[in-house]
Amino acid sequence: MKLLIIEDEQGLRESIEKYFTEAGVLCESCSNLAGAISKTSMYQYDCILLDIGLPDGEGFTLLEHLKANGKNEGVLIISARNSLDNKIKGLNLGADDYLIKPFHLAELKARIDAIYRRKYFNTTNLLNYDLISVDLLGHEVTVNGINILLTRKEYDMLLYFIANKGKVISKNAIAEHLWGDEIDLVDSFDFIYTHIKNIRKKIMEAAHKDYIKAVYGVGYKFL
Amino acid sequence: MKLAAQYNKATLIITFIVLFIAGCVYYTAINYIVNKQLDHDLLGETGEVKEYINLHRQLPNQYEGDQTTFIKTNIAAFKTLFVDTPYHKNRGNKRGNKIEPGRAIKTLVDVKEDHYILTIVESKEASEHLTQLTIGITILLTVILLFILALTNRYILSGLWKPFYHILQQLKAFNLADSSIINLNTTNIDEFTELNDAVTVMSTRVKSDYQNLKTFTENASHEMLTPIAVITSKLDTLIQDEKLKAKQFEQINDIYAATNKLSRLNQSLLLLVKIDNDLIQDTATFNLKDVILEKEHQLQELAQNKGIELIHLLEDKEITASKYLIEILINNLFNNAIKHNPINGKLYIKLTSKELIFQNTGDLDPLNSEEIFERFKKGKNSDGTGLGLTIAKNICSQYHYRLSYSFETSFHTFRVTF
Repeated sequence: MKLLIIEDEQGLRESIEKYFTEAGVLCESCSNLAGAISKTSMYQYDCILLDIGLPDGEGFTLLEHLKANGKNEGVLIISARNSLDNKIKGLNLGADDYLIKPFHLAELKARIDAIYRRKYFNTTNLLNYDLISVDLLGHEVTVNGINILLTRKEYDMLLYFIANKGKVISKNAIAEHLWGDEIDLVDSFDFIYTHIKNIRKKIMEAAHKDYIKAVYGVGYKFL
Repeated sequence: MKLAAQYNKATLIITFIVLFIAGCVYYTAINYIVNKQLDHDLLGETGEVKEYINLHRQLPNQYEGDQTTFIKTNIAAFKTLFVDTPYHKNRGNKRGNKIEPGRAIKTLVDVKEDHYILTIVESKEASEHLTQLTIGITILLTVILLFILALTNRYILSGLWKPFYHILQQLKAFNLADSSIINLNTTNIDEFTELNDAVTVMSTRVKSDYQNLKTFTENASHEMLTPIAVITSKLDTLIQDEKLKAKQFEQINDIYAATNKLSRLNQSLLLLVKIDNDLIQDTATFNLKDVILEKEHQLQELAQNKGIELIHLLEDKEITASKYLIEILINNLFNNAIKHNPINGKLYIKLTSKELIFQNTGDLDPLNSEEIFERFKKGKNSDGTGLGLTIAKNICSQYHYRLSYSFETSFHTFRVTF
C-alpha cells in the first residue's frame, strides 16, 4: 500500500510515518496544501491521510482538487475540530472517513486498512492472517479451517489486532476503539482483559497457537 | 411596593396634610374676622348704651330676654374687654332657653356716681355656620383633589413609566447566550432615552465579552488537541521499543491515562461551548426509550462487572432534540449512576411521558443538590472530568427540561422533567 501523509505538525507526521513504514506501508509525506496538490497530481497513491487545518489552506481544497481530476484515492481526514459540519462536508467531498485528534496510531492504522480493503478488495471479502481467516461480509472467523464464534466486541478486537499485527497496542487504544471516549478507561481495562482471554482461548482451541502477547501491563501485541 | 403605589401614597399623604393645614388656617382666619366684626358691632352697641346714659342719666330699661346686663360695682377703672361666652337664646315659647356660642363685651359705665359693668352678649351662631361651611368645602375639595390625583397617577403616571417597564421586561428576558439583542422603544423622555442607551451599550458589551470568552475557550481547546495528538502518537511509538523495562511501562501507562484525561477534558469543554452557543442543531424526533435501551446495551458490561442490579421501566416517549446531545445526556446519567454505585448496588431507570428518572444506591449521605451540577465539582472518589453532570444539565436546559437531584429513601435520584 502506498500512503500519502499530509500533516503540518512535524511530531505527529513523523510518528505516523514511522508506524506505517514499520508496518510495511510505503509512505510519503508533506506538510502543506501546495505540496499535497503537486504530489497527488504527479503520483498515484492508494490512500491519503489528510489534515484539515493546514498552514496554507483547508484540506477540503485537496478533496475538491482530487474530485475535479477524477482521482479516487481513499482519503481519511484527521481534524482537531469535532464538528459535524466539517465531517459532513468532508464526506460529501469524497473523503472515506473522519478521525478526530487526538487518536491512537493503532486506530489510524485500522481505519486506513479498512478504507484500503473497501477500495481495492471489492471482489474478495476475506481477510487472511496466518491460520486466521475473516469473512468481512458475513462476520465469520475461521481458524485453521474451524469456524469459531466470536462476540461482536471480540470480532472488532480481532480485526483491530490484525490491522496492527506485530505492534504493541496500548490498552487505552483498545478501549477507545471498542467503547469510544464515552466510558472511563480505568473501568474498561477489566473488560479488555476478559475479552482478550476469551479470544485467546477460542483461537488457541482451533489453532493450538497463541497469537496474543501481553506487554508489561501497557498493552498487547498480536503476532 | 410598586412605584405608582408608593408615589400615590406620598402624594395622598402630602395633599391631605396640606389641605388639613389650609383648613386650620381658614378656620382661624374666619374666626378672627368674625370676632373682629362682632367686636366692632358690640363696641357700637356699647356706644349707643353710653350715649343713652349720657342723655338720660339713667340705665336703659331692661327687657326680657335682653342680653344686656348691668352689674353694680365698686371698681372705678376697668379696661374694656371682649370674651367668648355662652349665649342664652330665648325662643319665646315654653321650650326654654337654648345655649349658643356667643361673644361678649364688658365695659365700665358710670351713671351719676355709680359704676356699672356693662355686658352685652351677641350670638355667634351665624359665624359658626360660616365656619362649618368653610370646613365642609375644604373637606369636599380634599376628597375631589385626592380622587383626581389618584386618577392622574393611575393613568398618566403609568403611561409615563411605560418605557421603564419595557426596559425592565427586556432586561429580565436578557440572556447572555441568546443571539437576540435587547430591543428598546424610542421615547421622548430624556431620562429614559439615557437609560435605553446605557442598557444597550451595557448589553452589547457584556455579549461581546461573553462571546470573546467562548471563542477563546473554543480556540484554546482546539489548539491543545494537536499537541495532545502528538503526545499520544509518540507514546504509541514509544511502547514499540522492546528494550523498555516494566518500570518504564508503568510510567508510560500513567502518561497515557493523564493524556487521555486531558483529551476528555478538552472535548467536554468544547462540547459545553457548543451547547452554550447552540451550535448543535441536528434536531430530529425520536423515541427516547430506544436511545436508553441502546445505551443500556452498550454499558451493561460495566453494570454487570460491578454486579449492579439494573431494573428499568420504560414507556414510549417521543422527543424532538439533537440525538447526539440526548445520547450524551443519557450516557452521562448512566455512567454517573454506575460509577458511584457500590458493588452489588442497584440502578433503577424509569421513563414516563413526563419524566426520566435514574436512581442508584451509593453513599449514604445526600449530595449537595446545588453544587453537583457545577463545573469541576466531583465526588470524593471520582476520577472523571467533573463536567459530566454540568453537560447533562446544560443539555437539559437547552431543551427546557429540568434536571434535578434528590435523595429519596437512600437512593440518589436524578430526575429529568420534560
